[in-house]
Order: sequence, then structure tokens, then C-alpha cells
Amino acid sequence: MRLKKVGVLLLSAVMTMQLMACAGTSTKGDTKDTITTTEDKTSDDTSIKEDVKEEAKEEVTITIWHQSVTDTDPVKKIIEDSVEDYKKLHPNVTIVQEGVTGEQYKTKIKTAFAAGEAPDISYMFGGGSFVKPYIDAGYLLPIDEYLTSDVKDKILDGMLENCTYNGKIYTFPTITFLANLYCNTEMFEKAGATYPTTWTELLDAVDKLKAAGYNPIILGEKDRWPGMYWFDIISARQVGNPAIMEAFKDPTKFNSEGFVKAAEKMQELVNAGAFNSTMLSMSYDEMVSGFAAGQGAMLFQANWIHPNFENEDAVTNGKVKAIAFPIIEGAAGTATEFSGGSSDGYYINANTKHPKEAYEYLAYLSERIGIEGYEAGAGLPCWDASSVDASKLSPLSQQSAQLMETGTSYITWWDNILSADDSESYKNLVAELLALKITPQEFAEKMSKLQPSELY
Amino acid sequence: MNKILSNKKVLCLFLLPTLLITTLIVVIPIFISFYYSMLDWDGIGKGSFIGLHNYIELVQDTRFLNSVKNSLLFAALSIFIQLPFSLLLAIVVANVSRGEKFYRTAYFIPVIISTVVIGQLWQKIYNGDYGLLNALLDNLGLTNLSQDWLGQEKTALLCSFIPILWQYVGYHMLIMYAGVKSQPPEYLEAALMDGASKVQVAFRITIPLLKPILKVCVTFSLIGALKVFDLIYVLTNGGPFFSTEVPSIYMYTTIFDSYHYGYGSAISIFIILECLLFTVFLGFLFKEKEVL
Repeated sequence: MRLKKVGVLLLSAVMTMQLMACAGTSTKGDTKDTITTTEDKTSDDTSIKEDVKEEAKEEVTITIWHQSVTDTDPVKKIIEDSVEDYKKLHPNVTIVQEGVTGEQYKTKIKTAFAAGEAPDISYMFGGGSFVKPYIDAGYLLPIDEYLTSDVKDKILDGMLENCTYNGKIYTFPTITFLANLYCNTEMFEKAGATYPTTWTELLDAVDKLKAAGYNPIILGEKDRWPGMYWFDIISARQVGNPAIMEAFKDPTKFNSEGFVKAAEKMQELVNAGAFNSTMLSMSYDEMVSGFAAGQGAMLFQANWIHPNFENEDAVTNGKVKAIAFPIIEGAAGTATEFSGGSSDGYYINANTKHPKEAYEYLAYLSERIGIEGYEAGAGLPCWDASSVDASKLSPLSQQSAQLMETGTSYITWWDNILSADDSESYKNLVAELLALKITPQEFAEKMSKLQPSELY
Repeated sequence: MNKILSNKKVLCLFLLPTLLITTLIVVIPIFISFYYSMLDWDGIGKGSFIGLHNYIELVQDTRFLNSVKNSLLFAALSIFIQLPFSLLLAIVVANVSRGEKFYRTAYFIPVIISTVVIGQLWQKIYNGDYGLLNALLDNLGLTNLSQDWLGQEKTALLCSFIPILWQYVGYHMLIMYAGVKSQPPEYLEAALMDGASKVQVAFRITIPLLKPILKVCVTFSLIGALKVFDLIYVLTNGGPFFSTEVPSIYMYTTIFDSYHYGYGSAISIFIILECLLFTVFLGFLFKEKEVL
């Protein structure tokens, strides 16, 4: 009996403490907020002042999930900073950010939407394999009604097209990614190889690099999409971007001479011993860190990897050159056609309680990633970045920006265009092509069986 | 106390919480999965009911059949290689004269290391460029044998099973060790006094007495093998070319990469039924033997 009494006493004591603790935090929070509000009122930006007056009453929390978790990803810091800075601009809005890496993110976001527990804003890849099912299911909010012309004017021409589905705008662009051929200058010099501008020169460089004892091209095909980048660009050089667009609308056109030739070119590289023999067990991460550690002379990847190579600890720091992928002699593609574009962005949940606040933060964040990401070398801006001093950019970012200026047409990564199912098939087919398991003819025939896809 | 426990109402009351939780987090999801498995659904929008079509497609899917074949091979390896090895270790460790505690701990260490760590560790061992295994072969003068172990179809499957077998040897060893240790010493002493050798004692006395424990180990090992996921996911993710794919990996990629939620659910139902069937079968098998 006595024990019971002690138990009851203890329990009630704990409960009272909890109650008090809750009360304590809420009053604390209130006072803190009022302080920041008054601080902001003294700031000289009038627009901010108005905002504060209007919204000071309602406390709003916006949650955002993103994929930028590694320290080499400049976007990670931009998001973290934006959370703090946004609180200063809008004291009543609290942003809660959460990052989840790569493959796990896909799983998490899908489960969250199915369970109705998705965040207000979430990061998505564009295109059929990722964002489209969510839009079709009505999970995401179009932002047309909030979009004002002054925001629109800050976005570079044509960049909003990638954010439009069925005539409605769903997100803002941030930075453009562009795949380049990265060459390790030290290895090229030592091997006496020239930076390839044509296919013959590429094969020649491969031979020379091999003779000098280097691994010519590093490829992490375990994750399958790095190899896909190679076929994306080889077919762009072989048939040209317009023909690729046609083939996406009518996949039977994949079964044509041009694509068979592109597949032959791919196997030509394999047969020349251009890729590392361990490509099938190497992951994307190992590929990038491998190149940074000097395990390969060439790498074809998008410009988001720059920070890895320009890291002070990297062996390759200052020894990497970005060039356009070589052209194929006598083929339709030109050196100004690129793989890439602005394909990913942050999308607003259709069920958000605060669509207006979410939109405002979205616009703020997207512009910040566009400009600061550009400064940090993560990609090229989709927003007017004339305020940025281009000479302060890292050498690779400058080279990449110069290449982009020459660009005449862009096609985003094919797995962003194809449906989820087809993009798996496509990536598997490229892997089989690289392992010489299928012939170019078989490859082209299987590609022709994909579903037609729209281009966004 | 006995009076309370013999009251059926009280018994039911005590079982109720567990029953409720199990129903909520195990039984109901299985039924929901079964319902999903009859849908053509991408997991995001609305699904359409297609009856047993997913199952019909499943039995004709060569990629799926291959994954089942892989998991059965793995189950066989677990039972016929991993368990005998664990048994041997258990008996040896239980009879070792010095350092019993040390060996017991040493063999158990892999079990407590996170799977991802083990995956990374073995990836470095198998690595084709700088892996430990290749370095070893080079040093032995067998350079022509060194290869990209996880990157080739013919070696990847076996190479991805070995770490899992290695990891759980200690786990089964510990269960069997506890079984060996709890056996009454009288039988043993009597046998030794009658002049039996240590090997004879092991085969005639220790192992037969260990049968209930062995049943537990075989069941754990088999079920574990049929639903293995994590280490293969880390090591090869089913590749190259699905050669190391097991049903759980196939289910994961079907649902989360190809967006076929219905088809993936059908695979998950298959895994559940497969495990259930084998468990019942094992129970039956061991019962028969006990009668004999």
C-alpha cells in the first residue's frame, strides 16, 4: 500500500512538471518572437516592415524535405542559412528543414505522401520518373495564382518551361546542371594526349592514356545512371537532340540506324578498354571520389560534382578541365548540344495549411539556391545573377559557364523523361550494352518497345 | 498466483495487449498488402482492381523466378554450411580448456556490427582495384585469379552470400553453445567413464540432446535466408544484371524504383507465404524425427 502511494505521488509529480515545462516554453517562445519583431521594425527595408505588420499575429511553421545532406553539396548550407535568415525576415514563419540522402529520400517521400504526412515543401526530380505521378495524383500545388511578374522577371528566359506541367507552373527553377567531360590535366600531359574534340581523338586519347598506365575513363555503373549519361550524350552526338525528341514521342524511332550506331560507339569504347574493369561494382560515390583521388583520366558527369574536385584535400584540385563532349565525325550532333537542364526543384504540397507562406519561402529559397549555388560552384543559375562577380567563381565553374553559353539545345537526363518503369529498363539496357551482353541491334530493338513520353 | 493464471478470463486479459499490437502491426498490414497485391497501382495515385493478375504475371517473370532461385540457394547454404560450422564451433568452444569467454565473444562480434558497416567492409575486401582479397592473391602469386568479385555475374552471388553466412555464424553458435552448456554433465561423465572418445560423445550425446535447439536454429536460419535484404542491398543492390537479386530486393526496386506497388505487394505476399510454408514444413519434419 505504501509503495502504491509513493507511485501515485511520483506520477502526479511528473505530470505537473510536464505541464509546467510546456507552459514555460510557450511563454519563452512568445517573448523571444516579440523581441525579434521589434528588431525588424527598425530595419530600413520597408517591404519587410509591411510583411511583419500584416502577419505578425499568426504563427506559421513550414516544413521542407530535401536531399542535400553531404558537406560537399553547397545547397546544404544554403538551405540551412535560409532557415535562419528567413526567420529574421518573417518572424512569424518558422522553417523546419530535414535532409535525407539519395535513394532513401525516394522511399521516404513516397511513403509520406501516401500516409498524408508529407511536408509542406519537398524536393523532387522533374519528369516522368519522379514528379509526374505526384502531380497526376493531385498531391502538388500549382503556384500560378501566387506567381507575380516581378518574380517572373528575375527568372532567365525559358527556365520556367521545365517547371510547367499541363499548362500549370508547379515550381521554380534553381540551378541548371550541365554534363561535361572532365579531364585530369596532369594525366593528359604526362600521357601526351590531346583534349578530344572528335570521336577519333577520344579513342586516340584513350590509347595514349592506357599506354601511360592510366585508367582512361572512370565509370560507376553499379548505380546504372552514370552509364546512362554516356549513352545520353553519345546519342546526342550521333543523331542530334531534335531526333532524340522525336524518338521520345515515338519510341519505334529508337530502332533506327542512328541509335544503333550510337550503341556501337558505346561498345567501341568498351572494347578499346576505355572504362575501368571494375565499373559494374563501382557506385556513383566511389566513381566521384575515385576521380578526385586520381583513379581515372576522364569522367562524364554533371557540374554538381565540381566541389568534390576543387576541394583542398582532393588530389585533383586545380588539375581538372571541363570540356564539351567530342563530336562524332559525319554525324548529325554538334558540340553545342548538351545533356542537362534544370530538372529538379522544390514542390508545394497541395494539402499545405499555409500555401501563401509556403510559396513565398519557395520563391525565396529557389532564388537563393540559384544565385548562391552558382557562386559556390554547384551549377549555373536559372535566375538573374548579374550581381555575381563571375571572376570570383572557381575555374571549373567558369569553364562550365562558358560552355553553357555556347549551348544551342538541352535535353535533360533520359531517366527524367521516361516513366519510372521505362527509365529502369533503359538503365538496365545501357548496363547490358556496357557489359557487352547485348548487341547494338538488340539494344535498339528493345528501346523501341518503350512507352512514348512527353517532354517537359 | 496459480489460481489467477488458471482463470481463463484473466489469461485473455493478459494476452489482449500483445494480441492487439500483433494484429495492428503484423496481421492487418499483411491483409492490406494482400489487397494491394490485387491492384494495378503506382503507389501514388488511384489503383485499379485487377484480381490475381499480378500473381499470374509473377510466376511467369523470369527475373522473379531467378530471385527465388537465389534465395533458395542461399537458404541451402545457410542450413548445410553455416549451421554445421556453427555447431562445430559451439561444441569446440564449450569444450575448450582456456579462453572460453574470449572465443565466445570473438565469434559473436560480427553479429553486433551494423550490416552497413559489414557491407562496406566486405566491399573493400572484394574491391577489384585495391581489395584485400586481390592483394592476397597477388602476394600468393595467383595474380591471374584476382578479379572484380562483385562486378561479375559468375562470382557476385557467392561473394555476396559469404559475408552474411560469416556474420551469423556467431549468432547460431551462441544459441547452440547455450544448449550444449545446459546439458546435464552426468551423461557426459558416464560416457567418458565407459571409454567413449570426445568425438563419439559429441555425435552420440551432445548433438542428439541438442535437437530442440537445432530446430530453432534451422528455422531462424531458413527464414532469415528467405527474407535477406540488407547486406545484399549494400553490397550489390541485386546487380550486376539481377544476378544477386533476392525476392526482397526485387520487391523493393519494383515498388520504389519502378512504381509498381501492386506487383511489389504480390512479391511481399509470396515471401510471407514462402516463409510460413517452410516453417510449417520444418515443424513437421522435426516432429516426425522425434517420434522415431
